[in-house]
Amino acid sequence: MKLVIDERRCKGCNLCTLVCPYRIFRPGKTPNRKGTIIPELDRPERCTNCRLRHLYGRTLCGMCQMICPDQAIRWEEEKPNEPHKVAIEY
Amino acid sequence: MTYQEWFREDRLPHIYCTGCGNGTVINCTLMAVDEMGWKKEDTAFISGIGCSSRAPGYIVTDSLHTTHGRALAFATGVKLGNPDLHVVVFTGDGDLAAIGGNHFIHACRRNIDLTVVCMNNQIYGMTGGQGSPTTPMGALSTTTPYGSAEPAFDLCELAMAAGANYVSRWTSYHVKELTRAVLTGMQTPGLSFIEALVQCPTNYGRRNKFKQVLDQVEFMRSHTVLIQKLKRMEEQGEKFPDPVIPVGEFVRRNRPALGVKV
Repeated sequence: MKLVIDERRCKGCNLCTLVCPYRIFRPGKTPNRKGTIIPELDRPERCTNCRLRHLYGRTLCGMCQMICPDQAIRWEEEKPNEPHKVAIEY
Repeated sequence: MTYQEWFREDRLPHIYCTGCGNGTVINCTLMAVDEMGWKKEDTAFISGIGCSSRAPGYIVTDSLHTTHGRALAFATGVKLGNPDLHVVVFTGDGDLAAIGGNHFIHACRRNIDLTVVCMNNQIYGMTGGQGSPTTPMGALSTTTPYGSAEPAFDLCELAMAAGANYVSRWTSYHVKELTRAVLTGMQTPGLSFIEALVQCPTNYGRRNKFKQVLDQVEFMRSHTVLIQKLKRMEEQGEKFPDPVIPVGEFVRRNRPALGVKV
């Protein structure tokens, strides 16, 4: 699974940066075409839901999705054989 | 099926301001509705007037957007006219506490089988930030420029005294707890009242030293205490530093309810 922020819906309130236990969301810097500064993702492959969703068969953490007032955060299925970055945590 | 399917995709994004907590409360309510397994045809969302009451417009089920403060009166009619329907009422603090206060206490007294989700943003957000009955003491608004001099209305106490079957209060920061509270409220027969404190960055936060959205959410996170813990501290003679917002489940009881199918 892949974590995606919907640019058409996000209004840039940065509530997701408050709740993520992995601090994946960071306040953005550059405005997009609509002038909204949407948060940027810091190594989203660390997200629990991305890694273990299929193993458990349910949404695991989902705090960012629940608190997002604009319903802009979702998880997408990845295409087969999509190249991944490997995150090494110390 | 996920709760996302209950949204009207063509109406999104909604008109709420950046960082408004109403969207979060809609998420939580729809999650609870989804967990209840209700069908879209058997569910009706009813609302009055205000920011919070725009919520049913973004939901695919049948909905009524009614006159100011009369959401509960309309909901009573819907429930009694067709007891098979599951009725959820979205309402705000100005809608429920100010103009609809009488409807509210009588709905609690009759104990109709409704779920009332009150999004309390402590101000009249839509009309430009006038002070509402739930504006805390000392808070600034356009009609209380020197700080509100009146004590605020405690809606949970009111609902408990009037006789609702389930009363709880959470904030828009506590999403999981709020979802669970709405779910419990839907399972309880009789009127269940869930007060959700939400942040209003545009009209409340801007005037009350919460310049950023996160400041007010942080305030709600750090100043909320479980009601049980507050009672325990009171028994031991300790006092929680002000300002404190008691949250949690206030009451759950089994009084006879109106509109429940036997």
